[in-house]
Amino acid sequence: MSLKDLISPFYVWQRAFEKPYTQKHPIQERPGAPRYRGFHVNVLEECVGCGTCETICQNHAIDMVQVEGLEPKPGDSGLRPKFDYGRCCWCALCVDICTTRSLRMSNHYAWITEDPTDFNFIAGADNMSWNGEEYGYRRDDDYHLLRGERVKMEMLAPEEGLKSFEEVMKGYTEEQAKDEADRCVECGLCVATCPAHMSIPDYIKTVREGDYEKGLRILYETNPFSSTCGRICTHRCEEVCPVGHQGEPLAIRWLKRAIVDRVPRERYREILGDEVVENGKQVAIVGAGPGGLSAAYYLRRQGYGVTVFEAQARAGGMLRYGVPSYRLPDNQLDKDIEYIRSLGVEVRFNTCIGREVQFAELIDDYDAVFMAIGLNVPSSLRVKGEDHPRVLSGLQVLDDVASDKNPGVGKNVAVIGGGNVAMDAARVSRRMGANVTVLYRRRIADMPADPEEIHESQAEGCTFVTQAIPVEIKDADNPDQVTIVWGEAEMVADEKGGRPRPVLQEDRMHEETYDCIISAIGQGGSLDFIPGDYRDQIEFKWGKFVPGDYQQTALQKLFVGGDIANNTADAISAIEDGHHAARGIHKFLTGELVA
Amino acid sequence: MSNDPKSIIEELSDHYQISEIKEQKADLLLLKIPKEDAVQFIRELRDGQNYTHLAFMTVIDYIESGIFTLTYMLHNYAAHHNIAVHVDIDREQTEMESIHELWVHAATYQRELREMYGIRFPGSPRLDDDFCLEGWDEIPPMRREFDTVSYSRERFFDREGRITTDPREHMKQIMYPIHTDND
Repeated sequence: MSLKDLISPFYVWQRAFEKPYTQKHPIQERPGAPRYRGFHVNVLEECVGCGTCETICQNHAIDMVQVEGLEPKPGDSGLRPKFDYGRCCWCALCVDICTTRSLRMSNHYAWITEDPTDFNFIAGADNMSWNGEEYGYRRDDDYHLLRGERVKMEMLAPEEGLKSFEEVMKGYTEEQAKDEADRCVECGLCVATCPAHMSIPDYIKTVREGDYEKGLRILYETNPFSSTCGRICTHRCEEVCPVGHQGEPLAIRWLKRAIVDRVPRERYREILGDEVVENGKQVAIVGAGPGGLSAAYYLRRQGYGVTVFEAQARAGGMLRYGVPSYRLPDNQLDKDIEYIRSLGVEVRFNTCIGREVQFAELIDDYDAVFMAIGLNVPSSLRVKGEDHPRVLSGLQVLDDVASDKNPGVGKNVAVIGGGNVAMDAARVSRRMGANVTVLYRRRIADMPADPEEIHESQAEGCTFVTQAIPVEIKDADNPDQVTIVWGEAEMVADEKGGRPRPVLQEDRMHEETYDCIISAIGQGGSLDFIPGDYRDQIEFKWGKFVPGDYQQTALQKLFVGGDIANNTADAISAIEDGHHAARGIHKFLTGELVA
Repeated sequence: MSNDPKSIIEELSDHYQISEIKEQKADLLLLKIPKEDAVQFIRELRDGQNYTHLAFMTVIDYIESGIFTLTYMLHNYAAHHNIAVHVDIDREQTEMESIHELWVHAATYQRELREMYGIRFPGSPRLDDDFCLEGWDEIPPMRREFDTVSYSRERFFDREGRITTDPREHMKQIMYPIHTDND
């Protein structure tokens, strides 16, 4: 044995006086790296409860649960993710997929507890020390598992569009539709917002799978105007699509169209399998618009004899007379309507209640009545001189164009209003070769028209003059023209918290002369045909019906819906009113509905 | 002795079909090489260009295109530079020449890739020994067709009291219950 062997054990002891590498108990926690994948954090106010984190989790570690104080509202299920740390592997797929980026990770990684049930917690809601932690993993800006860009749809160039009434939007090819459908996360948040509660994720799935027959069946469960809605729906569903939080929302409306465009009308009956077994009861429907005909469809499917009374010469209501064919071609509206009529729905055209047929006859002769007469009386501008012969109503212009009549707008046109009727009247006038100025009392952002309509109107060369309030209309030097006096407006904040109000600036007035002025500031209904003794039994507000559950009125046989009975006044709401009234009428006539 | 990476690639391009060259960072260059030439190319980087260290070996599963992309991360100590050599192999005929004779520790990576992805490296020592899974009788778990969720659901019970709520159904129950009746 050498001396070295004897001494070497003692060398170790010199280390006893050095600072140790190990840490003393209790351990001083070392912070995780700035992008460490630590415990989850969720910003509750940003999360919309879409559950995409739950779907992507490969370990089944996430449940969507209710959180006290959070209620479902449009675009937010009110649910929030709850994590089971017995299963989580901190792969962060949930963070990467999160539609709103509310879900993140802190850089905390040490958590000691004696109760294993603690490791099942709602991030952001349960009180955790790492809530609000600045550091930790979050998704990079340039990295996203979801595609934020919508598949673009081919459209007619504005200069081409102006030459005719050809449809502007060309529809998706099969491949484009599948590509767009692929962006859907299938959360279903849109279903609550869709007035008709269409099974949106389910029909989008059929587009992805290329099963258009199944798609059509799903569409018709809630909407017999799918070709129409696939083109002109107000698509409020898209406003709440969670994919829209970090990109563009799904083109839900175009995907609906993608299904209908691929199924020929002749095959509808066979695919939908609608069989009518007469049940002997008769229902009268007033108005062959989307509301009336939807009710007709669902009632007919249940065997009711259905007679529709229509004041005009053609069916479709506002879709026919209020929506120009470059947005909704006649043959597409006909596709929807023809199918409904093919089930044996009788339509009596040019038949007006109070004129050819009396209200009391309907109530007496039919088992139930559904009234969806729409709004067809243009609202007054309430300015001096508005009864000038060169002041046309937007509705009348659109009606003339739909009926192949020349509305005679001239070469210089002013359109007053900011809704879809105003945009359509402006675009129709452009197509007839006129220079068009749109006057609107608020800002473009305040316009009730669809943003697409506003953009397309601008692209087609309509000039927008906003914050312009009409003051007076008077004769021009030329008797075929008309002069409008309008004043500039300042937007003034509303003390009550409502939207800002335009206030006329009397020192900034303008006077312009046009070949005609098209007034399109809204429309109301006319209920004069209802006799007084019935009228007393029905509830009205602001010239509209106020329906109860299942669209029923206090006059039990009478159900109402569509623009004359709701505040949204769009096709899809009318369709739901019609469907819902059909449910109600069925319940009423089978004794299920106790009024 | 060590040239800058770009001139190395230029020089080797005369003999090899190098594609998808990308300077990811100042110290990291990515490139792709055909399967047949890969081992020879890697040997050349090791012996001729001073990329003497195999930092790691891994694979990316491109299930949509039907390929596995093997990645060999080579390091040059003197230049403090890395080259990631990508090699596409068929996802179904998963076989690749072994590099255990270039670096002994490559055998361990190759064992792992065999277990996790099912890639064969003929001749690699102890290739079929368990790496970290014991008694695994499913398809290799890192292949993307492996359904992790159903595997764990079949084998492990849920924590007691776990319930989940479907967002769409929940909104329906609370926001529009009477619109949900059947026709």
